[in-house]
Amino acid sequence: MTIHIQEIYPTYFTPASSEVWSKVFYLEAGKTYLVKAASGSGKSSFFNFLYGLNNKFTGTILFDEKDIASFSETEWTQLRRQKISIVFQGLRLFPELTAMENIQLKNQLTNHKTEAEIRSYLERLDVGHLADKKAETLSYGQQQRVAIVRALCQPFELLLLDEPFSHIDDVQIDNATQLILDEITARNATLVIASLGNSYNIDYSKTLLL
Amino acid sequence: MIKELLHKQIHFSQLLFFALTSSLGLGILLVVFQLFIDTQSLFGSSSDLLSNQTVIISKQLGRDNAFTKEEIETLKQQEFVKKVGGFTNGTYRVKGSVSIMGMSSISTDMFLEAVSDRFIDVDDENWNWSPSSREVPIIIPKNYIDLYNYGFAPGAGLPQIDQNLIRKIPIELNLIGTSKREVYDAYILATSEKINTILVPETFLNYTNQLLSPDKEVRISRIIMEVVNPSDPKLLDFLAKNKYQYFQSELLSSRISYFLQLVLSIVLGIGILITILSITLVVTNINLLILKNKQTICQLHFLGFSRKQIANVYLAISYRILAVSIIIALVLTVICKFAFVPFFENLGVQTSTFSLVYVGVAAILLFVILAIYYTKHTHKKIKQMTAVNTSLLTTEI
Repeated sequence: MTIHIQEIYPTYFTPASSEVWSKVFYLEAGKTYLVKAASGSGKSSFFNFLYGLNNKFTGTILFDEKDIASFSETEWTQLRRQKISIVFQGLRLFPELTAMENIQLKNQLTNHKTEAEIRSYLERLDVGHLADKKAETLSYGQQQRVAIVRALCQPFELLLLDEPFSHIDDVQIDNATQLILDEITARNATLVIASLGNSYNIDYSKTLLL
Repeated sequence: MIKELLHKQIHFSQLLFFALTSSLGLGILLVVFQLFIDTQSLFGSSSDLLSNQTVIISKQLGRDNAFTKEEIETLKQQEFVKKVGGFTNGTYRVKGSVSIMGMSSISTDMFLEAVSDRFIDVDDENWNWSPSSREVPIIIPKNYIDLYNYGFAPGAGLPQIDQNLIRKIPIELNLIGTSKREVYDAYILATSEKINTILVPETFLNYTNQLLSPDKEVRISRIIMEVVNPSDPKLLDFLAKNKYQYFQSELLSSRISYFLQLVLSIVLGIGILITILSITLVVTNINLLILKNKQTICQLHFLGFSRKQIANVYLAISYRILAVSIIIALVLTVICKFAFVPFFENLGVQTSTFSLVYVGVAAILLFVILAIYYTKHTHKKIKQMTAVNTSLLTTEI
């Protein structure tokens, strides 16, 4: 999926000049992008625009040259199941469900991964032993890793990660980025990571300063 | 799994409250509906006690106590009067003879009157007459039969007669007019509690008046009218002002009937009010269930669950509670039906279990209507909650 961004600008706050707001650029399939900015400059807003949660902006976003403003709620639901996956900054896990239940809740929409695959992903991120623990009992860093695995349990062409490694140690960040890059390559998907500054040792196609 | 997740935030006490309010509202509605059906016969035209409110008026005794056309017109224009009809007299002498059980015939002078069919409380297809008819149907006051059964028959050693037997008594009417006399066969079709006179069909009276005494003018000496409210002071004022006479006791029973209708209407009104209130409570309850889960619902929707999938979880709960409430309401209705039976018997109302079929149909209709309403409402609420820009998620900049 090619994403064509045409001079978007949020209408509910005034951001500083950047390489995103009011610019024309493309996010292309198979490429990786880093959106780098200080806190409060609108990273999450940019992700929310792309994920269809917020449309308070001027300008146009086109998915494969189709204006996202024209998408119906049903089309958005389909997109969120089949084409776009996200790790929210606030994670949005359900605290009353276990780590595995949280992941399966998403996975069952498309039955994209088997339980064995999910467990192996959790193992890779060193949270396999926590699969059956309630999300509310996990540390924030552990929850971030569960949320990353959840985001991988669906088909996607665009993966949005909003400060996904903020509470994870460097060893686990390497594990996580490797897992994510494997998945991105296998699917020829676009990866967009938002970060406050760290580039997580990934060789990005492009870095956008926000 | 979405079901378990959403159910975790719903408390049993909330569902119990939901079920109770729903059962109460539907129960009252169905019980009142049942009451309404069972009392219908009380207000039907075939019953005397609570039939339409009629008053019979006449002028004071004197030389000319017939009603003029203008007077009748004035009556018709009064707002408290629904229908007006005049009693027509036969303009000839009548001799009636009867032979009971083979005894020699009893003969008596009598009279005939007619009134518009609209006022007659006997619903019988035989109540008509044309010149080609073999017999003339007659309606007599019920008092006459009572007098015979309880006064005359025991003393004379004659058998008592009932409604069926009375029809079989052959009557011969000898009509002696100014220019002609005729003999007709007649029979008693029915008895009336409302109209205290000997009635024949209007067509018969008009025909014989014309045939036997064409020179005599037909006079209307009594008026029967159907009124809105027999206790209306305007009606009583009007009657007093024009010096029209009426039977106090007749007006009294009309008043009882009016009062009963009023009471039933109030019961129905309160029933509907309580039902509306309880449905409002149920809807508020659904809103609460959904609102409590607002965060979860938003997150589920933005994870890729459709609004329909989320709504279905709540709808499954609503439908089940609605079904349970309807069943409880139906049970209540059946219990009430049997509890009311002795009271209805006192009023002389024939109740049949068939009315439960109507109640059953009403219950199914209620279920369908409320289910559709709840469905629409739930979808609307979830749509509002998960709308773009209103989500809790967009608070992250």
